[in-house]
Amino acid sequence: MKRFVAVALGILTAIGGFVDIGDIVANAETGARFGMSLAWVVVVGVIGICLFAEMAGRVATVSGRAVFDLVRERLGARVALVNLGASFFITFLTLAAEIGGVALAIELATSVNYLLWVPIVAFLVWLVVWRVKFDVMENVFGLAGLALVVAAVALWRLGPDWGGLLHGATHPAVPQGESHPTWWFFAIALLGAAMTPYEVFFFSSGAVEEGWSRADLITNRLNVYLGFPLGGLLSLTLMAGATLFLEPRGIQPGHLSQVALPTLLVLGKLGLAVLLVGFFAATFGAALETGLSCGYSIAQYFGFQWGKFVRPADAPRFHLITLVSITAGAGLVLTTVDPITVTEYSIVLSAAALPLTYFPILVVANDPDYMGDKVNSWFTNALGSLYLVLLLVVAVATIPLMILTKAGS
Amino acid sequence: MAGRVLDAGLHLLDRQLVDRDGRLAGKVDDLELTFPDGGGPPRVTAILVGPAALGRRLGGRLGAWVEAVANRLGDGEDRRPARVSFAVVKRIGSAVELSAPKAELETDRLEAWTRDHVIGHLPGASDAPD
Amino acid sequence: MRRSTAVVGVLLLLGGCTGPVRSVNVYESKAGRTAEVAASAVQTALLAVEAADGGKAHGRYLTQVLVEAEEDATSAQGTFDAIQPPDRRADALRVRLDGLLGEATENLAELRIAARRGHLAELPELARPLPEVAEQLASFAEAHG
Repeated sequence: MKRFVAVALGILTAIGGFVDIGDIVANAETGARFGMSLAWVVVVGVIGICLFAEMAGRVATVSGRAVFDLVRERLGARVALVNLGASFFITFLTLAAEIGGVALAIELATSVNYLLWVPIVAFLVWLVVWRVKFDVMENVFGLAGLALVVAAVALWRLGPDWGGLLHGATHPAVPQGESHPTWWFFAIALLGAAMTPYEVFFFSSGAVEEGWSRADLITNRLNVYLGFPLGGLLSLTLMAGATLFLEPRGIQPGHLSQVALPTLLVLGKLGLAVLLVGFFAATFGAALETGLSCGYSIAQYFGFQWGKFVRPADAPRFHLITLVSITAGAGLVLTTVDPITVTEYSIVLSAAALPLTYFPILVVANDPDYMGDKVNSWFTNALGSLYLVLLLVVAVATIPLMILTKAGS
Repeated sequence: MAGRVLDAGLHLLDRQLVDRDGRLAGKVDDLELTFPDGGGPPRVTAILVGPAALGRRLGGRLGAWVEAVANRLGDGEDRRPARVSFAVVKRIGSAVELSAPKAELETDRLEAWTRDHVIGHLPGASDAPD
Repeated sequence: MRRSTAVVGVLLLLGGCTGPVRSVNVYESKAGRTAEVAASAVQTALLAVEAADGGKAHGRYLTQVLVEAEEDATSAQGTFDAIQPPDRRADALRVRLDGLLGEATENLAELRIAARRGHLAELPELARPLPEVAEQLASFAEAHG
């Protein structure tokens, strides 16, 4: 029974923790502009992240060390340094976006300008990283993130034309009046949002933090294969809401308040309140994860002590890096750049850097020195390689498309 | 520890250093080789740790950049790479295990500085993680 | 490092053209785009008012939505007005669009003021002209986008 509860908790946490500000923005904007025609991208993204997260989790579980830790040993200091540079930059940008997202969610609940909340949010994020136990942190925010399910409930209550939605999703086509390059650009952004690199580092480092061992391999797989797809479904719910309420009216959601409209219109004040809790939990949780990932990535490259499983005094540089990253992230938001814009850039640049961040995982997961008999199966390798080719194509196409479509405007 | 033949590039460089208590103490960023007086091939006498050592090994623009970071982080005496005598190496597995605790190693310099000047001052820094 | 600065530079240039545009086609498409943004803001306001009518939302959220809608429309107008029209034909376009934008921002401002004062009951009445404005903006965007 206890085992069951632990596993269920892991899955629920994975679902609630899947969505972050990038997914919220990407799915709402895409739904409002292209209906469900890009839903398939979320599916592709979820399969990809399941594949690589399982690998990263397995590496950490079997070898006792996080993936990023091993990248330098396996691929050499130069390659790993380039990898670090790209990963850190994007994770930092995502951190700033998440901090902005939390501030926006609170603004929506309180009507107090989001900028005033930024320093408080940054402080709270740091405080939780500093004091709260790792698994408590994960469980609380993961479960609270499940509040986003209210968007699905709203959809259900509405009783929309499911056939129509499904048809739109299964017949991907560029809607009338929209250009093909823009459609593909949004596809890339959606993929970047679903497969953001920090999720993999964090998952891997998290497995070490929680002390997973071989006995936890199955739990690892369940969390990933059940939790992430359901999390993806939650993202799609936001896309559907935008498709049903925003697209017909030509509303382009540039504000979090507009993303909340569908839920508000169906479920009223209560629905909105629950949704806001969900927004807060999802973005705050992601801020914690990206903040920690900034620390993990640098510490794991240079080899100094990292993690919340030791006293802060025993991992001073790790904590300093995390603290500085959170502060700098808040600083970026305080320049009054639109947090939604930061989010958009973070997901697009994530897409551009995906092959760099995912390739090492595939390499390490195949190494028998670390994995013993738990190396990748031929199927995992085949699928993983296929994904790397796809990610390479996406990466190459990203910047040209961004310039061509003027970042999707 | 003497006499074992290893491919330094494969089994030593970029490996994680783990101290006597299982704590992480940096990576093998570079190796100090000494030519014995009597002639013959050079022997590894120490492991060099830190961005200064790493930058030098990487070379090129990337290496120069890493070295610049190292220079920012310390001055004068602190700029030379931290040295871990090979005598302290206990075992070479997937990580390089050392027989000394972290605090006794030169690699702890920056960690200690950070602890003493920044992190240590924050409340709760010494609290065990429940 | 230098290459990425160049890319960012190009992006900034593309994103922020406010000087004269070379052809009337470019001007026209910018006008169309502006109308789209304004229409989106108006429609958002309409949805918010719909929610208010049904008693579904409280004042704080509504005010937020209406403030943002007004900001979006006003800033779109500001950006558009800063662009130098290339010729006479563009001038006519500008006059027409400005008329529509003015109407939109005026209405949105009234909604915002009422919401801020907590007069939620007035909102549906104040929003009455909006569907027409939205319709006109949408057809403008269609014609010139």
